[in-house]
Amino acid sequence: MDLVQQHTWGWFIAIYLFFGGLGGATMALGILGELRFNKGKWFGIGVTVLGMAILSFGLLFLVLDLIDPFRFLLAFWIKGIGHSWIARGMVVIMGAYIFGVLYMVAAFFESTTFKKWMGYLAMFCGFGVTTYTGLLLNANVGIPFWHTPALPVLFTVSAFSTGCAILMWVLAGKNDHESEHFFHAIESFDIFLISLELLILFAYFDFARGGNLAVVKSAHLLLGNPIFTIGFLIFGLIMPLILEAYASMKENSRGLAVFASGLVLLGGFLLRYLIVWAGVFQYPHGLAG
Amino acid sequence: MARYGMVMNVKTCLGCKACMAACSQWNQTPFWAEEGGKWRTRVTELEDGKFPEVKRKFFPTICMHCENAGCQSVCPTGATFTNKDGIVLIDYDLCLGCGYCIEACPYDARYEYEKEDLEKDEFYFGEDARHHQVHVDKCTFCVDRLEEGMEPSCAATCVGHARIFGDLDDPNSEIAKLVNSGEAKPLGEYLATKPKVYYIK
Ligand code: SF4
Ligand code: SF4
Repeated sequence: MDLVQQHTWGWFIAIYLFFGGLGGATMALGILGELRFNKGKWFGIGVTVLGMAILSFGLLFLVLDLIDPFRFLLAFWIKGIGHSWIARGMVVIMGAYIFGVLYMVAAFFESTTFKKWMGYLAMFCGFGVTTYTGLLLNANVGIPFWHTPALPVLFTVSAFSTGCAILMWVLAGKNDHESEHFFHAIESFDIFLISLELLILFAYFDFARGGNLAVVKSAHLLLGNPIFTIGFLIFGLIMPLILEAYASMKENSRGLAVFASGLVLLGGFLLRYLIVWAGVFQYPHGLAG
Repeated sequence: MARYGMVMNVKTCLGCKACMAACSQWNQTPFWAEEGGKWRTRVTELEDGKFPEVKRKFFPTICMHCENAGCQSVCPTGATFTNKDGIVLIDYDLCLGCGYCIEACPYDARYEYEKEDLEKDEFYFGEDARHHQVHVDKCTFCVDRLEEGMEPSCAATCVGHARIFGDLDDPNSEIAKLVNSGEAKPLGEYLATKPKVYYIK
């Protein structure tokens, strides 16, 4: 076997995966919050715009990563939809934009039933975007560390955790009763998500121990890299978990939770960057040269 | 309709790399690129066995024209397709340039034909330059030569008869005999890609 670390994808794809997941999750969670906690139409419109803006920022990096960014219009030529995750992702992203806009229009004109349905569809697409970012990497058969069902689950959970972080930022400045209520709901949900993420990571690496050479190499690359162990695991995952858990038990602790959210966002980005970086091809011997 | 494939005989490959030269001239692949160039076919030097009985071997590779091609299945625009003769090709006009196929190919068969490469292509080949837009590139079994009744340029130049090209569906062809007898085997069968390039090691 020839083990070769991939180098076609780097920062740009990681940024895209991060902001794509973050935008999708922000939209899904924000709209859910508006529908569930009656946060009022401007909150719904605000988070949808925010989610779409984040998603668009991410997409910009996907375009910049093309060999020739000016060919980006071809991305709408989705003939490969039957099998390609970039094509499917384009459809889901378009869905998020279309239903997001319809939801905002409905919210603006206060048409309750239509708003609800458009909200659900936009949430579904937002959710789809978060999962798709993992499936995108997952489809690469030649990189066994990515080609495992754990990856899309990990990315989805992590994306929702970062979405919670953004919403905590948005809600932190508001003092009305609903906002506070929603803030704490999000905070608890994030504690749950981070714990889940830790469990998935544990399973992922435990599974990697018994994997083939490329998987073991990827796992070693990550575990030997302080950006992963200290940057992501400690500062991006364990610390925010402890801080949020502590904050959730205390009164007037939103500042602390907001700080923890910043760490969650940092961790979310590092996770994507490092997983992309640690992709190792397992070529049949002789191929790599 | 045929099902084209190739058998690589590692035992008779001399390592002269005439195939790499022939391919890069015919297909105008970026031999000028940094870090040893970008090639549709490579010949890698391997050391086989343990000291003191080390043997040098030369290992030729190309796109395996997989029946279950990872590159094709991830391609969003349908730019990567399989033609009626089982050759995996890229429609340059549809290639978005996302590089997804490069990541998805488990045989390292693809590379980016970038802007600088287009300029160099024109510099070296002038009016005969064949690449006019950026795209992802890989071996085509010289589909244009096949249409003219010629073999792929690598097989046509091979000194050691290490590259045997032909129709896998024609039971009388040399390649079908080597493959059907089990003498030639595909690389990395565990990948389930069903390559149409086989090796005699
Ligand atoms: S070897 Fe790679 S580029 Fe060629 S058909 Fe198979 S997956 Fe595609
Ligand atoms: S780079 Fe071109 S051929 Fe490769 S997957 Fe993208 S669109 Fe398809």
